[in-house]
Amino acid sequence: MKICPYCAYSNREGVLFCEECGQILYTEQETTPSTKRLPPGTGGVSAKGGWGTARFNPSATILLQIRDNPTPIEIVPQQETIIGRYDGSTASTPTIDLTPYGAYENGVSRIHAAIRRGEDTLTLVDLGSVNGTHLNGQRLIPNQPRVLRDGDEIRLGKLVCHIYFKTSN
Amino acid sequence: MSDLYAVLGVSPEAFEDDIRRAYRAAARRLHPDVNPHRGAASQFREITAAYEVLGDAVERARYDQKRRQQPPENQYFTLKVTPSSRIVPVLSEPQVLYLLVELVPDFSLTATNAHLNLTLVIDHSTSMNGLRLERTKVAAHRLIDQLTANDVLSVIAFSDRAEVLVQAAPLTDKNAAKAMITTLQASGSTEIYQGLQAAYEQNRRYASKNFANHIILITDGRTYGDEEDSLALAQRCVAEGIGISAMGIGEEWNDAFLDRLASTTGGTSHYINSPNVVQRFLEERLRLLGQAIVERVTLSLAPDPDVTVENAFRLSPSAQPLSHESDPLMIGQILPRLSTSVILTLQLPPIPQPGFRSLIRLAASGDVLWNNRGAYQAVADISIEAMVKPPAEERPMVILDALSKLSLYRIQQKAAEAAARGDIREATRKLETVATRLLESGQTELANVAMAEARRLSSTRTLSEEVHKALKYGTRRLLLPSGE
Repeated sequence: MKICPYCAYSNREGVLFCEECGQILYTEQETTPSTKRLPPGTGGVSAKGGWGTARFNPSATILLQIRDNPTPIEIVPQQETIIGRYDGSTASTPTIDLTPYGAYENGVSRIHAAIRRGEDTLTLVDLGSVNGTHLNGQRLIPNQPRVLRDGDEIRLGKLVCHIYFKTSN
Repeated sequence: MSDLYAVLGVSPEAFEDDIRRAYRAAARRLHPDVNPHRGAASQFREITAAYEVLGDAVERARYDQKRRQQPPENQYFTLKVTPSSRIVPVLSEPQVLYLLVELVPDFSLTATNAHLNLTLVIDHSTSMNGLRLERTKVAAHRLIDQLTANDVLSVIAFSDRAEVLVQAAPLTDKNAAKAMITTLQASGSTEIYQGLQAAYEQNRRYASKNFANHIILITDGRTYGDEEDSLALAQRCVAEGIGISAMGIGEEWNDAFLDRLASTTGGTSHYINSPNVVQRFLEERLRLLGQAIVERVTLSLAPDPDVTVENAFRLSPSAQPLSHESDPLMIGQILPRLSTSVILTLQLPPIPQPGFRSLIRLAASGDVLWNNRGAYQAVADISIEAMVKPPAEERPMVILDALSKLSLYRIQQKAAEAAARGDIREATRKLETVATRLLESGQTELANVAMAEARRLSSTRTLSEEVHKALKYGTRRLLLPSGE
């Protein structure tokens, strides 16, 4: 017998989602490791000099160049583009899944950060990630959007990438 | 011809003793005297037939010779079964185990452009008047555009009577067929049986093993008093190899009835919330039928006497609860390079001792449309190990993913059941739970629908049909691989 921690319903052994309320009944550790906590001060990346444009053409796309990866990811920005890593155990899916780029090893949270669309700008928001989001070397305060510029350096945990605006013409 | 060695689960080099032992083991599990499950009886008959040949030295030699002369047959599809855990605990009480059953097609099989034998059944009762009927006509026209002269089409219009608009025949004159549909006017009430009966008569004229035979019902009304007759007719369709898919427009129609109609025949039922999307659903259906490489797929379940199948749900190619009171389950089609998958919920009896035990024997059959190869069967016999302290193991992602979404569908059903028996408090609580879980999985829109209804319920006292259908079919659609 397994008592649901959410609604106290007695489920039979082997039931994975409470038959009464849908609560997950197997423990997280059983399936996927949670975001790895990195020792403080790792991955010291220096801020980059010079500023690109902050104006984002509505028809443009974003190129996310991940360090040590030859081909950038092209993103058509939505109202909100969530960056993280998909692991299937949580139902939430990031728009951009960084699993293939070593997201777990580098301490990227499942829901790490988001790129939001403004009038003609883009902003970056940390969504309460474990190891933090850095913009040009500076750690972002969670849930406080910061304007992105062409060529900015973003660090998610220990994963470093650069963002470029690509105008289509 | 099915491979008798595979049916018995022995190698072609097996000794007589092995064959006899395999048969005895099967008899102990599946003989009707010990096993009440319907699927067990039919599978045991097949096993007995195989044993009658292989258990007799002369017959076996003759069979072996015939077998050698035939080119080795392709494995058109295989059964892949994944349990929710590979090792279960030794336990003095019943426990639950989930099985993901995948019918995996051979990857060399490409789209066949299966010839279709399609019957459109259009409700033209008064309530269809206006946009609903007009959009349906347009959708029917588009459908006709996509068919070829190799396909057979018939069209029925029904209200309280049925009228054959287009007689079943290879579609050579598209314009004539379209013109007939254009003339349709709304009048009368809805009697689905009338429409289905006429559709059955038309469709069976061309029904063949080499075709994908399908009836597509488009309605917006509730039918009264003829549900049982319609379901009996659905059984006759199964016997002739005809599937039924149903599309309900708006809120009036009886979802439980249309679901059963589709589930009985291996079809799919859809909720169409706006007349504008009739076309999309119809196209989706056509695409699925037209690509089928295996049609009339069935899955027979023969659990051990002490194991019960509690639930069966098809996840792909389209999500649909399956009716498992009858055996075999009607599964529908297998598409190229896409597994058709079903998730089963089993209840296992108390397991007092560690060790291996058998659980269920599965037999999947279907007509291979690819090059008209005909009937083909794949068999899987599933057993599991029990341990006092099973090691921690990773749960298969596919199962977790499917179950998390399926549990949403189930709670939503419970909310509807509670509302139906007048337990408003329970219904409200269930709706709030659905809303919470939907929100967690990022389905904001559907979550808001559930939340708003939970708030309204205390004053309205009944679950609105619109919300009920939106949630039921909305959560069901979450199960599709694309998450559409």
